[in-house]
Amino acid sequence: MKQELLHILAGNSFAMGDAQGDMEVNPYAPIGLWSFDTRFVSHWVLTVDGERLHALSRDELASFETRFVLVPGTATHYVDATASVIRHRSIDDSFNERITLLNHSSEPAEFTVRMEIGSDFADTAEIRQPAPRRPTVTADSVRRQLRLRYQRERFIRETLVTSTEPVEVDARGMTFRVRVAPNGEWHTDLHVVTIIQGAGGRDLRSGLETHRQHVRRDMRADLARWLDRAPQLVADRGSLGPAYTQALTDLAALRYLPLAYRERVPVGGLPWAMALYGRDAMITCLQTLPFTPELTPATLRLLALLQGGRLDDFHDEEPGKILAELRYGEAAAFGEQPTAVYYGAADTTPLFVVLLDEYERWTGDVELVRQLRHPARMALDWIDEYGDLCGDGYLRYQPRNRVNGVANQTWRNSPEAIVDRYGHEPAFPRATCELQGYAYDAKLRGARLARKFWDDPAYADRLEAEAARLRERFNRDFWLPHREYYAFALTPDGAPVDALTSGLGHLLFTGIVEPERADAVAAHLCGPDLFSGWGVRTYADRQRPYNPVGAHLGAVWPSDNALIAAGLRRYGYDREAAQIAAGMFGVVETLDGSVPEVIAGYPRTVTKYPVQLPAAGRPQSWASGGLLMLLATMLGLRPCGDNLLVDPAIPEGYGRIELLDVPGRWGRADSFGRAREAHRRPRLR
Amino acid sequence: MGMSAAEYLAENVAGGHPELPENTTGTLRLDVRDGGRTEHWCLIIDRQEVRVSRSYSEAELVVRADREVFDRMAEGHLHPAAALLRNDLTVQGNLRLLLALRRLFPGPPGARHPRTSCRGDGR
Repeated sequence: MKQELLHILAGNSFAMGDAQGDMEVNPYAPIGLWSFDTRFVSHWVLTVDGERLHALSRDELASFETRFVLVPGTATHYVDATASVIRHRSIDDSFNERITLLNHSSEPAEFTVRMEIGSDFADTAEIRQPAPRRPTVTADSVRRQLRLRYQRERFIRETLVTSTEPVEVDARGMTFRVRVAPNGEWHTDLHVVTIIQGAGGRDLRSGLETHRQHVRRDMRADLARWLDRAPQLVADRGSLGPAYTQALTDLAALRYLPLAYRERVPVGGLPWAMALYGRDAMITCLQTLPFTPELTPATLRLLALLQGGRLDDFHDEEPGKILAELRYGEAAAFGEQPTAVYYGAADTTPLFVVLLDEYERWTGDVELVRQLRHPARMALDWIDEYGDLCGDGYLRYQPRNRVNGVANQTWRNSPEAIVDRYGHEPAFPRATCELQGYAYDAKLRGARLARKFWDDPAYADRLEAEAARLRERFNRDFWLPHREYYAFALTPDGAPVDALTSGLGHLLFTGIVEPERADAVAAHLCGPDLFSGWGVRTYADRQRPYNPVGAHLGAVWPSDNALIAAGLRRYGYDREAAQIAAGMFGVVETLDGSVPEVIAGYPRTVTKYPVQLPAAGRPQSWASGGLLMLLATMLGLRPCGDNLLVDPAIPEGYGRIELLDVPGRWGRADSFGRAREAHRRPRLR
Repeated sequence: MGMSAAEYLAENVAGGHPELPENTTGTLRLDVRDGGRTEHWCLIIDRQEVRVSRSYSEAELVVRADREVFDRMAEGHLHPAAALLRNDLTVQGNLRLLLALRRLFPGPPGARHPRTSCRGDGR
């Protein structure tokens, strides 16, 4: 039977194990204690008198803290157990597990408690097949310490496990021989410190006391402050409150402090993307501006620092390009993967400009716009100088790293994601439709920034003229008149790739769609081939490659749907946007906890229940951020000059929604909305 | 055969750098270890200009590595970010300046402009 997996996380560190709290290597999931893309503990198994334990209950106290209550033996005979065990674990930069052993009998009892400990120091890139490594192990019973150390040249990673109670330490773990009084208890703290030598000079060693204080006081207080600074939600529909708090809590947990930086930025999410991804981070920021605007300046500044500066085929780097992925593991360090700084993304660079402009509209933080003038200019220059690969005015991608670069350098990054209705893959370089929308939006927004804040009206004029030409060209070359939608992509020869996809929603979001075509586009998005009942599928049904469990060929992504709903409202399709918002919140109402990054594309009427994909990440920054954006879209929140504009379109049956203390250039403002008969009203920016 | 880090610093790093943001300012010291000796280079970045001198002085960021590591970076064979992760290069101080330093070193020799790379190379 497949075991349920549980995790605790903080930033880019997490511990994942089974329902008993044990961690044992498994090729299908990143089990163990991970930090900075390295597995520091791969084996962590607790026994009492040689027996494994059975879980009675667990309490997931916070995203960074869990308590398991267990008894020795298997389920068949635990009822008369005379001892029980509590494992209470927490994570920050280090990991701690307090083991408490309770003797329920009226006699003193002796126990042998054993923790098996090991590490393979695997890199995130090799979970399926970890390379054989030979860590040096130092067992020191006097200091109650087990040290596991892996070295390759000067690259050193160490795991240091210390017990607070006397212990016999050997190369494979720690053994406690304890005598517990009648109805008494015994406990020890096993403190695990992960050490990265060098790499930014940051010493990740932290003592047990510091850890305890950090977890008990600082992390709880930090979360409370985070929740407190965010707007307050008051909703008639009972499920909205918990979903909102869960999304905010996920976003808090998924912030990490990069080695070379002072502020926290979002990681992609658990378990496969616990690292900085330019796209995920910026989409998350765009989604959360009305709620947690502080994520954005930190993200933009870091991405500006990491902006591409030279030509480098292996890293797919060009001057001005914005980062795709940043990792710290052995594979990145030794160039086995290009991820030390990888730039294989065609959408991140325009999105950088879009986010900078949108951030200013919400917050009025002119200072940041001035500080980031140079990187924003470089980003805009990149679009034409390096992004226009065929010289025909379209933004395209083609990986230069053919060994382990990313083939599809958009959010649809699975290898088979870009195909026409019959499954044919277009040649590279590929111009997908949403890239043109982002480029168009970036140019218009760049023009606004140039005119208003950079004192460069001539540049603004030039960008606006380029945007107008791009829009005209796009509407001529991508539009499929017989099908009445925009092509998914263009081949290098300019032939349309004719598939129907959710990319249409991104086009509405960016404003590149001609208003007279919006009716047809909205009808496709909400028609039976794209809309599953839960949300808009990535790839429409009734096309040969459609597959409801294909990540980008039919599955439904909350982050995608958040942008689509916002795009629909931009063009005045309020009822359609509300329908998508209701479908997405329907997913959260049916599944407990964090919203998954993707669900299967089966029709809602058939499965009644959102079908989860085994590979789907959860929690995931842009999925949790997507819920917040859907909420803002229902209320129709928009900055308008120095005021917050509220124009609600609440799904039927949702009653009243209040979002209080929305932060922005107005200070704090309240917003209200009530479900009513939605009406259509074009509203174009 | 590429040029050594010393040659590269004197010839290519000193001078104007329009690719650096105007508001990037700071002082860096490169400690180049060569056997028992250490050679010090001081870089002052101010308004897209870099001044380079062979001297020892306090700096906001100190970067230490063997000569061979600096040479490989100057030839474009080693990415400074990877060098840092490998612990071939150690740093102390304001790490943001390391990201500016990265832009002063060249990319790998033979790297292609993406447009050149895809010409006649459709798949």
